[in-house]
Amino acid sequence: MNGPTPVTLGAELPVLAPYLVLAVGGLAVMLVDAFSGGRRRDHLSLLTLLVLLGAAAAQGAAPAEPRGATLLGGMLAADRFSRFFNLLTVTIAMLTTVYATSMFERDGRYRADFYPLTLFAALGMMLLAAATDLLSLFLAVETMSLAVYVLVAGERGSLRSSEAGFKYLILGAFASAFLLMGLALLYGQAGATDYASVHRAVQAAPDGGILLPLACGLVLVALGFKVAMVPFHMWTPDVYDGAPAYVTGLMATGVKAAAFAALLRVVWLLPPIAEAWFPLLAVLTVLTMTYGNLVALSQNGLKRMLAYSSIAHAGYLLLGVLAVLNTGRDSATAVQAAAVRDAAGGAILFYLVVYALMNLGAFGVVACLSRSRREEADAIDGYAGLSRRRPFVAATLAVFMFSLAGIPPTAGFVGKFYIFDAVVKAGLVPLAVWGVINSLLSAYYYLRVIVVMYMKPAEGEVHDGHSWEAAFTCGVLALLVLLLGVVPGSFYALAAHTYRQMIF
Amino acid sequence: MAFITDHILTWVAFAPALGAVLVLAAGRTPGTARRLALGAALVDFVLSLHLLRYFETGNGADQFVEHAPWLAGGKIAYSLGLDGVSLWLVLLTTFLGPLVILSAWRAIAERVREAMAFLLLLQTAMIGTFLARDMLLFYVFWEAMLIPMYFLIGIWGGERRVYAAVKFFLFTMVGSVFMLVAILWCYQQAGSMALADFLQLELSRGQQSWLFAAFALAFAIKVPLFPFHTWLPDAHVEAPTAGSVILAGILLKMGTYGLLRFAIPLFPEAALALGPWLAWLAVIGIVYGALVAMVQQDVKKLVAYSSVSHLGFVVLGLFSLTTTGAAGGVVQMLAHGLSTGALFLLVGIIYERRHTRMIAEFGGLAHAMPRFAAVFLFVTLASIGLPGLCGFTGEFLILFGTFGSGLLPHARLLTALAATGVVLGAIYMLWMYQRVFLGKLGERNRGLPDLSPREWAVLLPILVMIVALGVHPAPLLERLEPSLERILAPVAALRQTESTYGLAAGMPADRPAAAVAALKGDR
Repeated sequence: MNGPTPVTLGAELPVLAPYLVLAVGGLAVMLVDAFSGGRRRDHLSLLTLLVLLGAAAAQGAAPAEPRGATLLGGMLAADRFSRFFNLLTVTIAMLTTVYATSMFERDGRYRADFYPLTLFAALGMMLLAAATDLLSLFLAVETMSLAVYVLVAGERGSLRSSEAGFKYLILGAFASAFLLMGLALLYGQAGATDYASVHRAVQAAPDGGILLPLACGLVLVALGFKVAMVPFHMWTPDVYDGAPAYVTGLMATGVKAAAFAALLRVVWLLPPIAEAWFPLLAVLTVLTMTYGNLVALSQNGLKRMLAYSSIAHAGYLLLGVLAVLNTGRDSATAVQAAAVRDAAGGAILFYLVVYALMNLGAFGVVACLSRSRREEADAIDGYAGLSRRRPFVAATLAVFMFSLAGIPPTAGFVGKFYIFDAVVKAGLVPLAVWGVINSLLSAYYYLRVIVVMYMKPAEGEVHDGHSWEAAFTCGVLALLVLLLGVVPGSFYALAAHTYRQMIF
Repeated sequence: MAFITDHILTWVAFAPALGAVLVLAAGRTPGTARRLALGAALVDFVLSLHLLRYFETGNGADQFVEHAPWLAGGKIAYSLGLDGVSLWLVLLTTFLGPLVILSAWRAIAERVREAMAFLLLLQTAMIGTFLARDMLLFYVFWEAMLIPMYFLIGIWGGERRVYAAVKFFLFTMVGSVFMLVAILWCYQQAGSMALADFLQLELSRGQQSWLFAAFALAFAIKVPLFPFHTWLPDAHVEAPTAGSVILAGILLKMGTYGLLRFAIPLFPEAALALGPWLAWLAVIGIVYGALVAMVQQDVKKLVAYSSVSHLGFVVLGLFSLTTTGAAGGVVQMLAHGLSTGALFLLVGIIYERRHTRMIAEFGGLAHAMPRFAAVFLFVTLASIGLPGLCGFTGEFLILFGTFGSGLLPHARLLTALAATGVVLGAIYMLWMYQRVFLGKLGERNRGLPDLSPREWAVLLPILVMIVALGVHPAPLLERLEPSLERILAPVAALRQTESTYGLAAGMPADRPAAAVAALKGDR
């Protein structure tokens, strides 16, 4: 990896701008809300979208350091990797805002706290992907999580939403405790908190110590919790199911992407993970895939099905992480190992983006068809006959389902192809075999949605909700999913390049 | 026209997809959608005639080659090629395409626009599968084929259509995902996805066995080889007529094509070692399919099981590992495409009139529909391999090639067993014919209208081709032979190193065209 280049404080401001725009913007939205009196709140969504666009623009305008640099004395990375995740996060937050607003409008009842919280959550995700210091890592996790706890629970009047928020809060607090303990142990070992020093200390540490592997394990547990790795996935179904659909989309894509970004930096930072924890991590990966898929088979609610499927997808992504790790253990030459590692890292980034597109698409369809926030279009059986009532929306959902199942010519297939390719290159053929068996399992429940939409007639009169914004967004996402399925080359190259330039 | 002729394979492959887009965009009424789809399929057929016209006979290599880098800096490419084997299968596809659409003219009355679009998209995927010379491209087409077929069965199918559609999808996918891992493994070894580079791989016997198994499983399910055939009767019976015709006519050939194009030449040692097992499964399938067909009550199901039997012949021919047997296999693929395609069309015609396919419901139909009965008899005879019609050429070459194959243990026993399948085939087909068309005409079948002009238009081209293939297969074999020799070259190379192998003494040289000529006595 490339060593960090120090940047003077004055030069840091433009690079920090995306984070600042979100932080200040979030506060501004909160204030605007407070002074808006009893009027409608649709200007909040516009303002939020503007803030997010501003953050994206600030990211685009930030001077590009070819080799990356650290900010705030090593707290954050300003490399291609963080730029990649910042843009992804902003996109996810914008889509979430569009969906949420369309739901609020249908209800005629706005949820003002949604907008600033989404901005803060996005800020936390961006910080998490950029964190290169134990302290900033923890702060980022907490910034993101606190906002998301409230987002999950914020559907006032809905018991399930409150229950989900409470569960997520309690279990999340546990995870944070694990993380903090792990970070404390690492700090004890390294005597410093920035990743570069920790890495040096870890490599210089004498073998045979118990503390270092333990610290790595604790950090893994915490990040495993955020990405819903078995056995730290218990919260996922209830929380995804109980949270409003627009928040579930944000959690399944944004939180997951940010946590994987942090994981990618951390696994590279801590060789003991590769050595001591590899076999266990491999077993957990296999379990994550299999458990998610097996349980998803028998779900009747779309949100819950997508929740279990998101566990399975975390498993595929963890396969990529295993490929990254295994290159360090293999006896292959350094050049080969680096090539495989870049391929695997690129595959993970690519998959995260593709997963965000198709999952947000699916949640967008839910948002589009929900009649109100209390009557979300969740029951899969409720989609019967959708292809006749709403051919366009049904077609987009079909594209997302085929993509999630990994059938060509969709981006989901290409994403899996890159992951499995990296896994095979890293010499983990049995894991690749298990991966494809899993994608076979998953085909069944994704197909079921299509069966219901296309092959079952609706029972009685059905009144779907409708939202032009959500339908349009889903159309664009479906187009992107198909486009990335046919010509993924340059985007994958970008992802691999981004990973190659990751610093810590 | 250079922009078409320079990229003729792309045009042939994607013209139907363009048609599908057109149908979706402009097919506002069912009539327009049908006409647009038919137009697209006809254009595609005309384009594919260009291939036949300019195909260089005697050249076994890929022709009309197209190559453009796709992914991984060109290591994965958009690479198309056409040799003798692909040529005929592509022609079969484009030939059946318009007929299938014509056959669905009345049978598919709801959501016509989507049905036509799916039929056309399916055609693109199938042609792409036959043309792809890059393993990932092949895999993409191979899997993409599932989606339209799945919808065709699931939306426009019979009563248990959802079950059949899902079963079809999952069965096929079971095979292909393992093939994907095998492809990835080879990709890592070869450093490129090009088929040509895969062919250069030097693999140990153990590696070959695993890879061959992964490939062969995918193809055996698609063929379908006994005991992987259970999806086929369901899919066939539940699919609408157009779907059944495509399934029987072309989709099943994907499996045998894959065995011939990939499994055998890529892993010749494994093909030699494991081929006999597949040959035995094929023979079991021949006999089993025939026996099960015999007891069917439903004409469509009977034809479906007859496919299991017929495709068993193809696999047997391929694993004789002789050019003659393989040529027989390809001819049988085409013959089966024509005759079984026609049978499904005929069954569809009678179903449209009576809304039943139960043999017991019929009897004496020859009195009510004499022309229909005549055509049915003709196709039946083609299907059971009457000399002079298409079924005979293929079966003859297969049995001939297998009998003389020095590479297959117990070749003569296998040939003898397979030959009983021919007899059984005659029995169940003629028996069915007797029960449906001969005897006393039942009350409910009185006054059924005979073939309409549209139905004639669908059937006549097939009938002509059935005769042409049976009487004069030489143009077909000429173009096939060099390509087959090329494909089987890796196996032949093994045969030379182990000199004990070879055609059994006293057999003529391994030349399919010569074998046919010898049969006709014009040597």
